[in-house]
Amino acid sequence: MEMWFAFVVALLKVIIIAHVVLITVSYLVYFERKISAWAQNRIGPNRVGPAGLLQPFADVLKLLLKEDIVPTNANKKIHTLAPILALFVAMGTFAVIPIGPSITLFGIVNPFVVADVNIGILYVLALTSIGVYAITFAGWSSGSKYSLIGGVRSSAQMISYEISMGFSIAGVLLFAGSLSPQMIVESQSGLMWNALLQPIGFITFVVAAFAETNRLPFDLPEAEPELVGGFHTEYSSMKFAGFFLAEYANMIIASSLIVTLYLGGWQVPFLEKLGLSEGVNAAIQVGSFFVKMGVLLFFFIWVRWSLPRFRYDQLMDLGWKVMFPLSLLNVVWAAVLAMWIK
Amino acid sequence: MAEKKRLKDLTLWEKMYVPEVVKGLKSTMKQMFQPRFTMEYPEVKFEPVGSYRGRPVLVMEAGGEERCVACGLCSRVCPALAIEVQAGETDREKERYPEKFEINMLRCIFCGLCEEVCPEEAIVMSKDYELTFSNREDAIYGKDKLLKPITELQDRIDFLRSNK
Amino acid sequence: MGKLTIDGREVEFRQGQTIIEAATDSGIDIPHFCWHPSLSVSGNCRVCLVEIEKMPKLAIACATVAAEGMVVHTKSDKALSARNAVMEFILINHPLDCPICDEAGECKLQDYAYNHSTGEGRFTEEKQHKDKRVELGPYVMFDAERCISCSRCIRFCDEVAQETELTFVKRGDRVTITTFPGKQLDNPYSLNVTDICPVGALTNRDFRFKSRVWDMSSTQSVCSGCSRGCNIDIWVRKNEILRLTPRHNEQVNSYWMCDHGRLDTFKEVNSESRIIAPMLRRDGTLMQANWSEAVAHITSEFKAFSSDEIGVIGSAHATLEDNYLLAKFAKEILKTKNVAMPSHIKHGTADKILITEDKSPNALGAKLMGITSENFAVIMHAIETGKIKALYVMEEDLVALDHKFEAILAKLDFLVVHSVVKNATTALANVVLPAASYAEKNGTWVNINGMAQRIRPAVATQELDRSLDGMSLSRLDKFGTNFDRWGQVNKIDARPSWSFITMLFNSFGHKLKFKMAEEVFHDVAKHVKEFHGLDYDVMGNQGAKISLVAEKV
Repeated sequence: MEMWFAFVVALLKVIIIAHVVLITVSYLVYFERKISAWAQNRIGPNRVGPAGLLQPFADVLKLLLKEDIVPTNANKKIHTLAPILALFVAMGTFAVIPIGPSITLFGIVNPFVVADVNIGILYVLALTSIGVYAITFAGWSSGSKYSLIGGVRSSAQMISYEISMGFSIAGVLLFAGSLSPQMIVESQSGLMWNALLQPIGFITFVVAAFAETNRLPFDLPEAEPELVGGFHTEYSSMKFAGFFLAEYANMIIASSLIVTLYLGGWQVPFLEKLGLSEGVNAAIQVGSFFVKMGVLLFFFIWVRWSLPRFRYDQLMDLGWKVMFPLSLLNVVWAAVLAMWIK
Repeated sequence: MAEKKRLKDLTLWEKMYVPEVVKGLKSTMKQMFQPRFTMEYPEVKFEPVGSYRGRPVLVMEAGGEERCVACGLCSRVCPALAIEVQAGETDREKERYPEKFEINMLRCIFCGLCEEVCPEEAIVMSKDYELTFSNREDAIYGKDKLLKPITELQDRIDFLRSNK
Repeated sequence: MGKLTIDGREVEFRQGQTIIEAATDSGIDIPHFCWHPSLSVSGNCRVCLVEIEKMPKLAIACATVAAEGMVVHTKSDKALSARNAVMEFILINHPLDCPICDEAGECKLQDYAYNHSTGEGRFTEEKQHKDKRVELGPYVMFDAERCISCSRCIRFCDEVAQETELTFVKRGDRVTITTFPGKQLDNPYSLNVTDICPVGALTNRDFRFKSRVWDMSSTQSVCSGCSRGCNIDIWVRKNEILRLTPRHNEQVNSYWMCDHGRLDTFKEVNSESRIIAPMLRRDGTLMQANWSEAVAHITSEFKAFSSDEIGVIGSAHATLEDNYLLAKFAKEILKTKNVAMPSHIKHGTADKILITEDKSPNALGAKLMGITSENFAVIMHAIETGKIKALYVMEEDLVALDHKFEAILAKLDFLVVHSVVKNATTALANVVLPAASYAEKNGTWVNINGMAQRIRPAVATQELDRSLDGMSLSRLDKFGTNFDRWGQVNKIDARPSWSFITMLFNSFGHKLKFKMAEEVFHDVAKHVKEFHGLDYDVMGNQGAKISLVAEKV
């Protein structure tokens, strides 16, 4: 009986999270367009629905109705696999992101996370690494030089930045003493946010996150002026939509990871001093998670419409000569700090 | 290869990059609160000024006759080969007139060379920018669509004369 | 041979030549309006003023006889300022008509105003007004305002056409050209005045306002009007012939051609009654078919007749290549001796200038290919008596020659006709084949004096592609695409007769591999001694005299 109940709850969580992510992704696209419009003194989409709010659905409908084109020289199986893989990785990572504290419901303790895995951070790193395969596959299987260059650039870029990302996380782990995201969040109670304790690690992680999600100023894999569309040049219809959704889902993951690792996750500083009931507390905390995430998403978009793209050599320079030493420095700093505090 | 020197070396502050990024972010943020320039097109229409180069039209004199004498210079100068003229003879004082005058609006690139070369000020660029057709044949504008009364074109003609 | 110096270059001259003639022979251009190499010197335009050392004043190059050791400057300051002044004078009363003037684009005055004028006039008064639309004759329109009074047209009528019809009247800036009372500009060569007129004063009424010259392509060809074979340019726009103009060839027609050749010969090519595809008679009516059906049908039908029952009619309107293969076909495949062609001689129609009695362009050529007109009456008689039952006619309208032939041809069991247009003979035929007209194929014509001259395709057919087949291109042809509206117009499915006969050869099991008229001509040059050593390059654009002496030996 309890097993069944746990299963149903888990299924419900999966369904809810999947929908939340997908809808957030759709509206992220909408906000991307809106914010770019504002930054350029334009209005942005305003035709479909009130203030253009139904625009995402129109976009999806359009993509659905488009012809699915597979180039003659493409390796069809891998060409089809790539977008599926990309989307799978993007959605799968969400399983371990805690978006609220555990609450007791019907006598069972329910963590606000699909799977409270004790090595959640490793899981995240593993999945994002698989994400590189999706892009590399797409680039190689298209049988087009633009795609291939996009794919190669992407893998090189991701490998380079994963290193500094990993070291940045190492700093966090030293503090939390656990690989479980939930524990990491809990370790940042009060104002003990990692962002404040290890600002260098925070900055290197954020920059690496930009690079990992292929967002400007690091969007070399799909640099339009030089590579047409990069790895997804030869994709159309829903396969293209797969990459498109994955890109935005990755943004959400990156934001929620930053929130989890550096900005105290769902924690609201000094909330417990207000003495509210458990339910209200949980609601505020979940809300705070989404607010933090939203601010970061806005930051992602804001950066995109402010900064120009890096050159490839500059990208590598930054990754290896700046980010890597800095993140190492942060590990040392975090170790010293951890020893001093504890 | 000798290393190229920059015009101006970056200062340490600039080399740190992050402050410059913040500057850029500040600039875009400021723009987000500036007034918008977008015109909501089908409801609000852009009213072009005299210097605007919309679709080329033929000037129709007050008497309902075209000014064009079918000299064919516009057709000769047209870089897109969009204009086709067939001359004919009339009893009017200018004995030559265009029996057929067609502009393929799919080919037209709105460069205005036809207007510039015209010795009779007979073809001018109008303010009309709304061009839609549902097939290729409709895109070929004949005299019926090209002739426009001179009163509607006064702006452009004034502009041309003041900039001779 | 003497020597003079023009602009620092030593130039040879023959005794009695003027400076402008010596200069022209050496490729030096001295501007001129009234001077024409084939007309007498009038010296009234003054634009050829040049500076000659040791002469007190400037002299006109067209009337000054060249002398040994003369030093002429055409570009000295004095000469240039004189030329500019003359241009300014001429332009005083010339209206700014270029946009409506047909001459624009090939106008001497336009060119010289661009090259030899300062571009500014000081004349601010009202220009002289004169009549702008005077019908000087049935073909020529005169615009008095544009006339610069060079008198070329008057001299042409007097000296070349030998009919004194035009003259100047009035004086000063009121001077104008008119016909003598009771006369019209109506000689058989009247339209040449529109070619030599340096401005747009005299225009061709047939061509008036049809097209700007820069929109047309011009192709070097030969007139089909008579056996003189005047050299012409065929002017084509949108695959339609708009006018013919004479092309200079001193050995044939000098600078001239007759009005008949200019106006009447090309209408057939543009005609509405062109045959657009092969036709076979089925159940009494002619039905459209394709080329291979026509070949198969002719092959099987001819096999049913013995060689004595077959007649073959060649044509002096067709090319040398067509007649050569037709004669070869008759000899080697049909094995018949009933080969002839009708004569187009109309006695008493020749004049002393260009027009000849023979109204076909290639009678001599066809004769050299073994097709003569002597046998023609015999063959027609044989048809009448029923001895000949099948007839192959190439590019001849027999019924038009003589109406009694209609009844005779009706007796035939089988009649094949190559023809450019539908006519009374094709109406009787069992198989009608659309023949490419003279403006749609390569070929050779031999004129009355034995000049072998090339004709070239000016109009594209379905199997001829303008750019791929090396035809001359207008600006639109060059820069447009095949998908433009002017690219694919008026193309009919006609083929040259020689090409169809080649198909027949192959259908009869005799392999011939001619793909171009040039290859057929190489065969002719190999087998017919008059044409030894000739090919298309040797004939070029001025033709080549064939060795007629060999025929007599």
